[in-house]
Amino acid sequence: MQMNAVEFLETLLRIPSLSGQEGEAAAFLTARMREFGWYAFVDAAGNAVGQLGTTGPLVVLLGHIDTVPGMIPVRIQDGCLYGRGAVDAKGPFATFVQAARHLELTGRLRCRLVLIGATEEESASSRGAHYAREQYAPASCIIGEPSGWERVTLGYKGRLLVHYHLEQDAAHSAGEQPAAPEVMVAFWRELEAYCATVNAGRDRLFEQLLPSLRHVASGGDGMTDWCEATIGLRLPEGVEPDALAGHVASLAGSAKLRFEGGCPAFRSPRTTPLAGSFVRAIRQHGGKPGFLHKTGTADMNVVGPAWRCPIVAYGPGDSRLDHTPDEHLDLEEYQRAILVLADVLAQQV
Amino acid sequence: MEAICPECGATVELPADTMTSEIVVCPECGAELEVISLDPPTLALAPEVEEDWGE
Repeated sequence: MQMNAVEFLETLLRIPSLSGQEGEAAAFLTARMREFGWYAFVDAAGNAVGQLGTTGPLVVLLGHIDTVPGMIPVRIQDGCLYGRGAVDAKGPFATFVQAARHLELTGRLRCRLVLIGATEEESASSRGAHYAREQYAPASCIIGEPSGWERVTLGYKGRLLVHYHLEQDAAHSAGEQPAAPEVMVAFWRELEAYCATVNAGRDRLFEQLLPSLRHVASGGDGMTDWCEATIGLRLPEGVEPDALAGHVASLAGSAKLRFEGGCPAFRSPRTTPLAGSFVRAIRQHGGKPGFLHKTGTADMNVVGPAWRCPIVAYGPGDSRLDHTPDEHLDLEEYQRAILVLADVLAQQV
Repeated sequence: MEAICPECGATVELPADTMTSEIVVCPECGAELEVISLDPPTLALAPEVEEDWGE
């Protein structure tokens, strides 16, 4: 007997799937998709892939099935489903699966659908999306991330992670030489000042270069003192990761830097047929459609520039709950999003 | 079909296969407009773009 939409998501939430450990979740998803009669498999990147439809344009539904750490007891309480990944982003991927199934059962499937539950979106590698990028050339793409059922995400900022490591000869703290942590703090302040220069006159967060200090540690063994730090940078359009890395390196003095996860910002216009399909479907379900630009980064940044097709991100859930101990999804919203997405997919001909 | 841009008053040509909720651009002022009706052809400012968290 097949699961209903809530049972399906609840079961998926009960399967831990930290980045790099998505195997059990992928096996569950492909088994369920095979039960629907779809062609389903786990690809070389560990992605759970399901395919249905034989004619019409190719539409890729790209979600991710890995989560950040943090065990949240899975439960339904006051109409909400609690669990790690309920919002970011097993809920949106479950919405993809259920909407595709609803579309098929109501006889409205007129396109070819590829559903991809991707791996490692929450790590800097974005392994699953990088692999998928080389496998498909869709006519349109929907990324599975929480936007809320009435809204559609058009773009994400870019990202660059900076790993800083400084070593210097140990010195007496009463001496003239700045301590290793002081040198790192001076670097951080210079970087903040540079970002403030870039951001002058820019009011919207989407247009700003935003630094965040995510990790600091220091120590010494009597001969050498050291300090290390990890800095995250959220990039606006027009700031390329490689160029920014070069500038950051020029501020770092003798410290060694390692850069990771660089990707530019990406934004899709709201004038695409796909965006119009969402506006139409949301209105038909009594909603007030809106569009979003997000201050974070998603797999849209990976596939959007390569596929150059109409692309949006969509999924139920409040993204303010991403990565929090209170992560939960309103089940009524989940059901609405399934119906909206099914209507959107029915328009892809 | 023709409709009036609510932003600048210019006439906007709409192709015959235009659908409601399509978002078009006014050739005069560049405003992005939603087709809210086909009978008669009517345009309104497109849904706003807001900023949000994540992911």
